[in-house]
Amino acid sequence: MKHLTEEELIECFYNKNKAANPASRHLEHCAACADAYAALQSDLALVKPAEPPVRDAAYGARVWASISASLPRLEARKQRWLRISIWSGLSYAAACALLIACAFYAGRLWEHRQPQISAAKQSPPETQQHVVLVLLGDHLDRSERLLVELKHADADSAKMVSPLRDEARSLLAANRACRQEVKQQDDPALAEALDHLNQLFDELANQPGGLNAAALARLQKEMNSGSLLFEVRVLRSRIPDQQPAENSRSKGGTI
Amino acid sequence: MYCMGKNDHAAISAILAGDKEAYGELVMRHSQSLFRAAFRITGNEADADDVVQEAFLRGYRKLESFESRSEFGTWIYRIAVRCALDKIGGHPADEASRVAGADDPEQDEIQVADGAAGPDRLLLSGEIAALQERAMRSLTPAERTAFVLRHMEDCGIAEIAAALSIDPNAARQTVFRAVQKLRSRLAPLRVKI
Repeated sequence: MKHLTEEELIECFYNKNKAANPASRHLEHCAACADAYAALQSDLALVKPAEPPVRDAAYGARVWASISASLPRLEARKQRWLRISIWSGLSYAAACALLIACAFYAGRLWEHRQPQISAAKQSPPETQQHVVLVLLGDHLDRSERLLVELKHADADSAKMVSPLRDEARSLLAANRACRQEVKQQDDPALAEALDHLNQLFDELANQPGGLNAAALARLQKEMNSGSLLFEVRVLRSRIPDQQPAENSRSKGGTI
Repeated sequence: MYCMGKNDHAAISAILAGDKEAYGELVMRHSQSLFRAAFRITGNEADADDVVQEAFLRGYRKLESFESRSEFGTWIYRIAVRCALDKIGGHPADEASRVAGADDPEQDEIQVADGAAGPDRLLLSGEIAALQERAMRSLTPAERTAFVLRHMEDCGIAEIAAALSIDPNAARQTVFRAVQKLRSRLAPLRVKI
């Protein structure tokens, strides 16, 4: 059996929870250690706590009276706190001012960039292209209708000729705009067709002395010889029909 | 014993807000317990009074660093222990006499034997108290403080370690060394009894 060391005995002596201490359980079974523990208890029992001299109830007040005059830093501390408060307040105000200035500057920058961004958002290249295609498709549709009417026009019927000329004048302006747009694109077939249409619309709209039978026949012949109607139909077929897409988009928007 | 009530909290808040007089409440409330501990460590009434005053002065200067989750009583008690330790460690004369006593173990035995007409007379004459006092003086300041806190103030090892600013194992060893020394010093008395 291993006996307890003096350190373990001392630890056991001061341990308040003796029941949970293995050394205490050992002492119950080991006479040698129990004797050593009894000797320790006897020795330490001789060391009685020194009873301090009695201090009356006014002792605390006397202590306070003796030291209160030695606490001069309170005022200085208040001033220091005041200085710290002022400096911290100024720092805080400066930080706030800097923050506001930065926010203002950032706002100005954002404001300047915003129109560019919104303009770019409003008319991206895809949208512009989409608009051109719609206008071009519409123009080719109208041109095709005019060519069909011209093909079957009767020069003796003034009721039929007059709207042809008015429509030709209207299409002439639209055709110029389309030619401008097409010039920016690399599409020679379309440009050539629009040139051809421009010539035809110009003659149709600005025929000196009005559209008589001879002029109408000449224009019909010119249109047929150049296969202009066929050419317009082919070009129109190349442009995707926008109407269904618009419909489906609007349907999608309502869902 | 060192419970910090709402009054301590309120007083500390008032002091930190600039009310110096509020510190007087804390001084009056904790002076007695500090004096008792200081006296047991220093063994001297005048020194204990000095320790109490010094502890409260230090406490006032450090009050801004006091953490409100702690108990002011425990906090100022530890400061007082440090002050007492400084006090007993700063007396060269006491240290010299203590060393002289330690170098002459026969002196204890002789003195005990001289006045020892019998154990009862020995107890009554106060020779035990004198021997105990000499035994206590044979301890180093740290050993004496650790032993007083453990044996007389009923402090735990953790509290002693905190008061002495050492780790718990060192505090435990310091208590062991103190007990060993005391037992060695008190051995003549045990023989006589």
